[in-house]
Amino acid sequence: MLCCLDCADAATATAKPGNGAQPVKAFLEKHCTGCHDATEKKGGLDLDALPVKFDTEKDRAEWVKVFDRVLADEMPPPKKPRPDAAAKRAALEIIGGGIVKAEKSVQATEGRVALRRLNRVEFEHTVQYLLGVDTPMRHILPADTPSHGFDTVAEGLRISQLHIEKYLEAVDAAIAEAMDFRPRPDGAVKRYQFKDESGVKKHFEVAEGTPDPKNPKNVHHQSLKELPDAIVWFSGGYPSPELKQFSVRQSGRYRIRFSAYGHQTAGRNVMMSIYTDNYRTRRFLGYFDIPPDKPRVTEMTVPLLAGEFLRLDPTGTGYDAEGKNVNGIGAPNFKGAGLALQWAEIEGPLAESWPTPGTKRLFGDVPLLDVPPNKQVWRKNHKVPFALKPENPKDAAEKVIARFAQRAFRRPLEGGEAEPFVKLVTDVLDAGKSFEDAIEVGFRAVLTAPQFLILDERPGKLDDFALASRLSYFLWSTMPDDELLGLAAAKKLAQPATLRAQVDRMLASPKAHAFVENFTGQWLDLRNIEATTPEQRLYPEFDEVLKTSMVGETEAFFTEMLARDESTANFIHSDWLMLNRPLAEHYGIPSVIGENFQRVKLPADSPRGGLLTQAAILKVTANGTVTSPVIRGAWVMKRLLGKPPLPPPADAGTIEPDTRGATTIREQLAKHRNSEACASCHRTIDPPGFALESFDVIGGWRDRYRSREKGDNANRRLHGRWVWEYKLGPAVDCTGELAEGKKFQNIAEFKKLLLGESDHVLKCVTENLIIYATGGGIRFADRTEVARLTASVKAKGSGLRTLVHEIVESPLFVNK
Amino acid sequence: MNIAQQPISRRAFLRGAGVALALPYLDAMWPRALAADATAPRRMVAICTSLGIYTPSLFPKESGRDYALTPYLQAIKDHRDDFTVFSGVSHPEQNGADGHTSEMTWLTSAKHPGLGGFRNTISLDQFIAEKIGIQTRFPSLVLGTNSTSQSYTRSGVMLPADAKPSQIFAKLFLEGTKDAVAAQMQKLREGRSIMDTVQGQAKRFAARVGAADRDKLDEYFTSIREMEQRLVLAEEWARKPKPKVDAQPPTDINEEKDLIGRMKLLFELVPLALQTDSTRVITILVQGRGDVPLVDGVTMAHHELSHHGQDPEKLKQLQLIEEAEVHALGGLIAALKAKKEGNGALLDNTMVLFGSNLGNANSHDTKNLPLLLAGGGFKHGQHLALDTKNNTPLCNLFVQMLQRMNVEADTFGSSTKTSIPGLA
Repeated sequence: MLCCLDCADAATATAKPGNGAQPVKAFLEKHCTGCHDATEKKGGLDLDALPVKFDTEKDRAEWVKVFDRVLADEMPPPKKPRPDAAAKRAALEIIGGGIVKAEKSVQATEGRVALRRLNRVEFEHTVQYLLGVDTPMRHILPADTPSHGFDTVAEGLRISQLHIEKYLEAVDAAIAEAMDFRPRPDGAVKRYQFKDESGVKKHFEVAEGTPDPKNPKNVHHQSLKELPDAIVWFSGGYPSPELKQFSVRQSGRYRIRFSAYGHQTAGRNVMMSIYTDNYRTRRFLGYFDIPPDKPRVTEMTVPLLAGEFLRLDPTGTGYDAEGKNVNGIGAPNFKGAGLALQWAEIEGPLAESWPTPGTKRLFGDVPLLDVPPNKQVWRKNHKVPFALKPENPKDAAEKVIARFAQRAFRRPLEGGEAEPFVKLVTDVLDAGKSFEDAIEVGFRAVLTAPQFLILDERPGKLDDFALASRLSYFLWSTMPDDELLGLAAAKKLAQPATLRAQVDRMLASPKAHAFVENFTGQWLDLRNIEATTPEQRLYPEFDEVLKTSMVGETEAFFTEMLARDESTANFIHSDWLMLNRPLAEHYGIPSVIGENFQRVKLPADSPRGGLLTQAAILKVTANGTVTSPVIRGAWVMKRLLGKPPLPPPADAGTIEPDTRGATTIREQLAKHRNSEACASCHRTIDPPGFALESFDVIGGWRDRYRSREKGDNANRRLHGRWVWEYKLGPAVDCTGELAEGKKFQNIAEFKKLLLGESDHVLKCVTENLIIYATGGGIRFADRTEVARLTASVKAKGSGLRTLVHEIVESPLFVNK
Repeated sequence: MNIAQQPISRRAFLRGAGVALALPYLDAMWPRALAADATAPRRMVAICTSLGIYTPSLFPKESGRDYALTPYLQAIKDHRDDFTVFSGVSHPEQNGADGHTSEMTWLTSAKHPGLGGFRNTISLDQFIAEKIGIQTRFPSLVLGTNSTSQSYTRSGVMLPADAKPSQIFAKLFLEGTKDAVAAQMQKLREGRSIMDTVQGQAKRFAARVGAADRDKLDEYFTSIREMEQRLVLAEEWARKPKPKVDAQPPTDINEEKDLIGRMKLLFELVPLALQTDSTRVITILVQGRGDVPLVDGVTMAHHELSHHGQDPEKLKQLQLIEEAEVHALGGLIAALKAKKEGNGALLDNTMVLFGSNLGNANSHDTKNLPLLLAGGGFKHGQHLALDTKNNTPLCNLFVQMLQRMNVEADTFGSSTKTSIPGLA
């Protein structure tokens, strides 16, 4: 493949304008049109009908295919006579040069990428930032269609009437939040004891062992246990571990502290998950690793929404060593693990100042005054005790809207640009409405205007403001902050040293998590983590905490590589991982404690290390029950090596899963490996999948397949109890042979072979980052720059952070 | 008050908007106003179960009218003369990004869903809604057991499904308070001024963008214009009282595992929405899930059961779920039959398409789709067995359905003909 690149470079470098089409025609005549002519049209390709011209996108797309197949020596097919090297080179130079020239000329007038709108994640972040709110909005907006693998690419980001309707709806929700002026926070911290929960008190009113009045054979079993200093929950069941004494009256950021410890855990930690609930939907806030017997005080600062209350759930409790459930025994006699909850402390809504910074940014010095109770307006089901009372509403409106539009459009306004928006507001004022009612209309208009929704990039070199936005949406998925806009205004941003310093500053910000989340979410399919639910009986260890930890691990791994500029070869194999306790236990790696991801050096004999053996990757490449080497193999080819396999022919069948135990997946696959038509592709696709057969659908190690019926006892403990849910079936075969004949016995050997392909991995990451960052697929004419970039990064050690820097400085990034 | 004699174009409507709104056919509300010769409107309901339907339990062995009932058809045998079962029908070239991407294209037929530069096309229901939606308060209803739908706009954007029966009922039939209506009218008027203002920004861009970017901007400004029109319509409808129905607002089933319960609640809204002519097009996506549905005798997750691997126990449980689904369909057919309008039943004017985007969910096969069409005035009562090797495009049936809706169309999606042979 690298050789292909070199040739492509040579082809583009030496392409001379004015080269006639003759060498191409001669080459095609000699080697191609025997099959690809008007009558044969093999593979649907008729070269007689394809002019040696590169003016249209359609023709160019065909020529790129011809170029690639001939260059890679796939065409003419191996059985046919080999073309003369010089003739081949001459033909390719003309084709390659022609395509590049045509593409460059389009890029000069239109830019490499088309204008694009914000996607729904960017829209949410940007509106939240502008209005100073945490209102979730992305779920209101239509899902974005990824193109070239990412939802930042112009082609996929269509606009329809439905979008406009939903933008208005989302913006309304956010504005309502922004105009919900809050009283000055009193800074009070309220403490609640779990023993005071009314559900808890009620639960203890019926004594353990009381016969059921209707059916005296049944006795009441308590599911909770009261200790002198805590209430113990063994499960999330009724009464649930909820804090109902507190419910959120005003949306905002809150500091939440809990005091808890593990009870009867035989020295082990208990994972405590924290959710919000509002009787309709639950939101997962996070989890904490709670030590045995000694209380730990946890703390988190999170946005809470009006109407929500908090809920805590223990993980892996409720069963004793024999596997008996607390419900059948009753809490007083139960000897298994539980979570002892002491108290909760809540402070909020938190505000650094009053009025809040968000309010100040929006309204500047417009006074916010008390309103007598009989004059207060209703917003979001309660009365707002403050109102904006400018001395001169029209003047104030003009200032507020102009300032808001300038921020929202991410650049200085053009002459008269704010006027129509101001007029909208003054018209409402003239109709006798309040300042707030009027200004809202202006905000809504600005936030549905094309200048806000569409990233304004003009052909050629991006101006400083467009560059600020491109940088900010790349690394933060939101609009540029004041520092970036300030540098743009001073025309300093494009200076290489400034750009470099800004990238470092941006990556150090917590906002950079959006880049890690959105980039890996799509490049590595982490967004699909919930696409399938592992079968509970086969995978009893799978729960919400493990699932969340899986994604957390891969994101933490990427973040760590970025922070320490680790070589992209670590994607194939690393001798370290980022682990927390649930994942370390899942991987069989001892002595990792806590919910936070820590860099852990792997034992020498560990099969883990690199991306492929991370649980999240293994889960998104499997369904809930079985793994397929074809799916996993194709994933490795496409996502890691950047060599997507050709799609299967239209009449190709799919393997019909048969889990009755009669045939293994290897036996089923052998059939298509034995047919030459299938094998030509599958001998390349399947091997990575064979090596990964050692890992089950949730990324656990396996020597034998799990089975629901036949097999031996699992002979394994889970959260301190024996596993009874599944049996151990046939042994796993994880051996294989690469297409070029190299054999491997297991995943470790496979990874060693794969390290030989580090250059492909670097190129693949580079291309994906360019697509994500610039909003356009990799064009033929981009290949030279991609090759230059990867060579330069490789010379500096292939570091991920170096790569990000080089991309930002690349012409692909700083030009439209 | 005048009764619309024939569909009017959106343009014609907008010319007259604000003067008088063409009132649709509202049998339940104004029976007096209905002239005896007024023809009832045609309607369409499309229901897809996204995890497939086990076709050996659906397709009869015999073709034609004298087929022996299969287990699933047994569940709706009372309606035998009201539906046709099709086999050998599918959309061509549906291998896509993964095994389930064909659920995006059941009503669109776009090829290779999710692969490469895939862009979805308009769905059958939205195509109809574009033509005749203007005549009803809601151009279409897009429903689902969760927010995923199979309805796609002309630009290939999925319309999110309404999944809460109580909210759907409220938007169809419950009048807001006077203040709420006034506030809504105010909001709609403001919305129009906003659209007007942003529309005015077109000039700022027009001068300086290239051809590709102009397309993108056109898309934006077209959307704004359409939104403006939508707001005009909404304002007109907000002035009219909503139809009253003799039914209690439904109570939502919050437990998502109760797939059958949730689907039945949605089905109960269908006759009400259609008979009051609140809409003429409804899609319902019954989205199978990765958990254990609340069906007696079922202990394994639905998705896992669909990958039965020929395991007899899994097949047994899968069939319990699917029988319950077909049974719910029977309930819908019965309800549509029970409602009378004009000279016949509501069912006579309502096509109900029921099926799945997967022909064999076990292997994610998209050929030989399970498919059943009830009502709509066709001559039913048969199994139309078409070529299972060389499938007939499902879009041929779609064109026939479009024409039955009085929508002028000779082609749709991947259609090759305008009807299915044997269906009349």
